[in-house]
Amino acid sequence: MTVEATAPVESIEASRESYRSDVERSLGTGWQFAGLHVAAGDALVRMSLAAADGSARLIGVAVRGGQVPSIVDLVPAAGWDEREAADLFGVTFTGHEPIRPIVNHVQLDRWTVPVRGADAYQVAVGPIHAGVIESGHFRFHVVGDRILHLDARLFYKHRGLEKAAEGGSADRGLAYVARACAGCAVANAVAYAHACEQALGLGPSAELARVRTILLELERVWNHLNDIAAVCAGVGLAVGNNRFAGLTERARRLNAALTGHRFLFGTVRIGGSDLAVGADQIQAARVELAALHRAAANGWRELVFNASLQDRLPDVGVVMACEAQRLGTVGPAARAAGKAEDVRAGSPRLAYTGFHPAAVERANGDVKARFDQRAIELWQSFALLEHLLDRPVHPTTAEPGAAPQPTGIGRVESPRGATTCVVELTAGQVRRLRLRTGSYANWPTVAYAAAGNLLPDFPLINKSFELCYACVDR
Amino acid sequence: MLTLLRDLRRLRRDLHLPRPDRGRSLAIRHVDAGSCNGCEHELTLTASPFYDLARFGLGIVASPRHADVLLVTGAVTSRMRDPLLIAYAAMPEPRRVAALGNCALGRNLLGTPADLVGPVETLLPVDVRISGCPPTPDLIAEAILRLVDDPPSM
Repeated sequence: MTVEATAPVESIEASRESYRSDVERSLGTGWQFAGLHVAAGDALVRMSLAAADGSARLIGVAVRGGQVPSIVDLVPAAGWDEREAADLFGVTFTGHEPIRPIVNHVQLDRWTVPVRGADAYQVAVGPIHAGVIESGHFRFHVVGDRILHLDARLFYKHRGLEKAAEGGSADRGLAYVARACAGCAVANAVAYAHACEQALGLGPSAELARVRTILLELERVWNHLNDIAAVCAGVGLAVGNNRFAGLTERARRLNAALTGHRFLFGTVRIGGSDLAVGADQIQAARVELAALHRAAANGWRELVFNASLQDRLPDVGVVMACEAQRLGTVGPAARAAGKAEDVRAGSPRLAYTGFHPAAVERANGDVKARFDQRAIELWQSFALLEHLLDRPVHPTTAEPGAAPQPTGIGRVESPRGATTCVVELTAGQVRRLRLRTGSYANWPTVAYAAAGNLLPDFPLINKSFELCYACVDR
Repeated sequence: MLTLLRDLRRLRRDLHLPRPDRGRSLAIRHVDAGSCNGCEHELTLTASPFYDLARFGLGIVASPRHADVLLVTGAVTSRMRDPLLIAYAAMPEPRRVAALGNCALGRNLLGTPADLVGPVETLLPVDVRISGCPPTPDLIAEAILRLVDDPPSM
């Protein structure tokens, strides 16, 4: 294993005076914001940072009198993290005013941004939506059909999973993380397992890295197929929707054939893997993946030449590269905006050697770019799986790595982008857990992308991100 | 199409089949009361070509006012309790409630007590229980079709 695989998390305890300049310096030297959490004991707020090579850094600042300095002006991406910490832990972020409640569902004027002007009015949607959609409330501030501003109120599905995991064993904690979201179950579970293994001083064996990479890519395949179907549904193209929904079904059946579960539940554990896949199953999976690849490519070609679909996609829901950078956008949405970064390229704990992020040629951050990005990533995942599924999969265990440490950070590229999991372990017990998923990172970008567009285009813009609510609400 | 319907009616009369006292279709309103999105993903696929529940007269409708069945997923969270009850109250009678997935049935609930109200049963009268984590589309289809064929008495 490479050195980085077992490198410890660099932890900086900043003074209140130096905190903001420490954050600024790190951001200026290539570190990316990866989340903010209140450390166990509630006396410390810590910001996680990630580098492109997969290493991690924590900058902590003491909570004094219930207050810490806000960094939201330096890192706008920390906005939701600070609002969440304020609601769940009662921390006041000096400089983030007014801090709008995000988890706590209070009266309208406290969580929405005031929008004034002639003919401005509000359209409220949700929490129960018209289709089979997760629960969440959107409040559009519009003039005519034009969206001026969107306030999203999620956390309707907040189950307190992270808090419930506290005090339990690391293995028990996995159940909470894996059930946070079915769409990103593997990504979340692997991020958590990586964090725990780093805290426990474990590194992956080559086989463990391979098994987890296979699972992550299988998850990406069904998600991307599902997301292409969703965009078709977003414009009312039933034929495209049905075609890719059918392929999604086939991908889930393949998951079940390989692992016994359509969503790959229960396939990840800390310190090893129990998954065994024989040569015959591997061969059958390779055949089905090749068939899926062909069918998806055929389906995609028809979508490319479908004028009624393609007419709807360009120049809608535009996120420019500088905005993606500012808002901390991750995953396919960021790459479609020209921010060519992918956690997979720096994942020493996984088998992504030689991986280069794919990006669409026309990466101008609109619905079309995000739609096309899904397709090229899908081809990339099929190629990765063909390479990885070249021999049977055997049960395996992790290997001793660096010295154990109190905090571990796992970072994984989920189908929706970089997912970061921070775990504090004491004597094998979870003391604090924070899961910041790709969906969590991207919701503020959806709100940004909606502004300036027509209200009837919002479902399409939303589908082009296809974020989970469950991943955010936890 | 009209000819076909008339032919069917004549056929039914000629064969002395009983007149159906209700239409063989159900309108379903889905409410996610705090799921992990697994049940939603599987429910979505019941409309896909592999299952195509629409051919049995089953469809997801946009409003509870148009619905015969309230299909609830997830352990009911404290924040989804009121929206769920409002949706149920908006439904015309007769109405049915189906609990979809282990969370909705209160099995192996994960979360803090303050954030969860509990299984659907603690809030609404549940007529159909569909277990699984998540239930596969064919299990969902089978359970809902049973509701069409053999509706529970009022």
